[in-house]
Amino acid sequence: MGKSKVVMIKGKGALINNRINTKVISLMFKKGLSLLFDCNDFRDALNQLFSPSDRIGIKINTIAGRKLSTNPEISLTLANLLTRIGVRSGNIIIWDRTNDELRRAGYRLNFSGGGIKVFGTDTRRINYEFDLTIHKNIGSRFSRIQSRLVNKSISLAILKDHGIAGLTGVMKNYFGAIHNPNKYHDSNCNPYIAELYETYLIKNKNKLSILDGMIVQYHRGPSYHAQWAKKCELFIMSTDPVAADYIGWQFIEKLRKERGLPPLEEEKRMPYYIITAEKMGLGKANLNEIQLIEYEV
Amino acid sequence: MGKISRRDFLKTVGGAGLVASTIPSSFLIDLYALTPTRKLSQVEAWFYKKLPDKEIKCELCPRYCQLGDRERGYCGARENRNGIYYTLVYGKVCAAHIDPIEKKPFFHFLPGTTAFSIATAGCNVNCKFCQNWQISQVRPEQVENFDLPPRDVVRYCLKYRCPTIAYTYTEPVIFYEYMYDTSVKASKKGIRNVVVTGAHINPEPMKKLTEVVDAIKIDLKAFSEEFYKEYVRGELKPVLDAIKIVKESGKWLEIVYLVIPTLNDSPEEIRKMSKWIIKEVGPDVPVHFSRFHPMYLIKNLPPTPVSTLERARNIALEEGINYVYIGNVPGHKGESTYCPSCKNVVIKRFAYQILKNNLRKGKCKFCGQPIPGIWS
Repeated sequence: MGKSKVVMIKGKGALINNRINTKVISLMFKKGLSLLFDCNDFRDALNQLFSPSDRIGIKINTIAGRKLSTNPEISLTLANLLTRIGVRSGNIIIWDRTNDELRRAGYRLNFSGGGIKVFGTDTRRINYEFDLTIHKNIGSRFSRIQSRLVNKSISLAILKDHGIAGLTGVMKNYFGAIHNPNKYHDSNCNPYIAELYETYLIKNKNKLSILDGMIVQYHRGPSYHAQWAKKCELFIMSTDPVAADYIGWQFIEKLRKERGLPPLEEEKRMPYYIITAEKMGLGKANLNEIQLIEYEV
Repeated sequence: MGKISRRDFLKTVGGAGLVASTIPSSFLIDLYALTPTRKLSQVEAWFYKKLPDKEIKCELCPRYCQLGDRERGYCGARENRNGIYYTLVYGKVCAAHIDPIEKKPFFHFLPGTTAFSIATAGCNVNCKFCQNWQISQVRPEQVENFDLPPRDVVRYCLKYRCPTIAYTYTEPVIFYEYMYDTSVKASKKGIRNVVVTGAHINPEPMKKLTEVVDAIKIDLKAFSEEFYKEYVRGELKPVLDAIKIVKESGKWLEIVYLVIPTLNDSPEEIRKMSKWIIKEVGPDVPVHFSRFHPMYLIKNLPPTPVSTLERARNIALEEGINYVYIGNVPGHKGESTYCPSCKNVVIKRFAYQILKNNLRKGKCKFCGQPIPGIWS
């Protein structure tokens, strides 16, 4: 197997006065995808992952309120790009655990109207599967959005520090796809995050992993604390979720070092789950096996 | 939101709700009048510490969850909101039944009476063999909840002549504040309060709880830290400490040990536990060895052979425990209470029924031996 490719794409002016500039965001996604797949047009890249008949879930992260959640302008921009390869807008679902969290993050819900769908698992008639999916140490009921409504998914996660796991990334983002994430916080969420990702409902469906680093919370996450948040205006993109998380982790460590904070390992919350995921063969967590491309639009 | 229809109600209880084969129908009709609520409570929790940057540290149980804003504890029933820790389940029951007290099981506590039994969603451990996982291993918003404030619990108890309230089914530690307040209110009306718990709780809240309840049944899930770590996701030591606290408090204590084939059924482990019980809480604490049935995350093991339960019972008796029972095997002789002095049957049981009661004022009617318990 060759190296895993990760693109860190920066967009100057993507975030001005806490407002998203969708033109820059769109450029970042397009260029990032093109770099990821070595092609000139982002549509060629998307066509390698998705087909027009797909039902695609974009799993976002809205637990931390408006200041540190996936901005609607970002997820909608990504969804719109998917329509450019022929995916029907009604077959794209932007989703998270609850409608309340989505609203608090600034989303306008759309369950039954036309266009791109936006709703939470707690929507009446959706909910979690009644039966457990059991895999290694995981025993969870999955959101029916992930299990039934979509056949492919994108993890569009917020890049941030996490008080227990060390890092919230694209793999941990799927804690929001199960009914009992609170049961997997022991031992820095290791091996739970990796084992959850390995379940067929996630591993087989997740095609693209994106870390949203518009604002990066590098300490005291997962909630927002202005004094330890930095505007970075970047995305980390990969088809390898482990590699994306690994690069995100290194980026957090870099920001921590700049601010004189100790490495996560010293705070006993190194994200070992990333190493575990690599051992399980889910991806790469070693700079020697990752091709990192940095680019600014 | 309108009142729940009978059809909807039955659909709900089929999954996780208010199942009640033993509840008089009039009681069910009362509960039909309750409207399920999607609103959770926001009552400030007890036993937590505020930390800088809106973080909190929960001190209710040995997990000591340290949480940022909007994060939930391991139990799923408590949430940090802007630096204040709230219980989300105060007065929000997901299960309410009238059960025989023997079902808890309490065998030395008002035999033949009923307990108004309630639970809210959530649990602070994650036993792989949980029998009630549909309501314990979920967040409260994932089940149907009904508003039942402490005063209404007391009202129902009085109306249906239940002498006892049992906090049970899930893990009462996670609805501590609700249980405590209800117990205080109930006691004033002469209603007894019993707790059915795994006792994964810190000493301070445990001591405080013993001040307001009458009896506590503790599930001792094994006698090894390894088992607790692997199959319970908790620790054994705090449970043992809690058992000692209950005993020291003078409140009635019974212990249940669910015997799981190959996992916690070795004679050595049973003997070690029996010796510990004798040494720390004495020979008169009833011990129930219950039969396991495949459930939740352990479906690959068979139900416990009756012979294994009998072996465990014999070991405990050999070690000197006076009241040792076999649970979940209806009709077994180990369901009955025997006088440790004259060996006659003092209370004859079949499943949850009392067939014969040979107690007279708390003593064996044949030889006059006092039998410890709360009998009236």
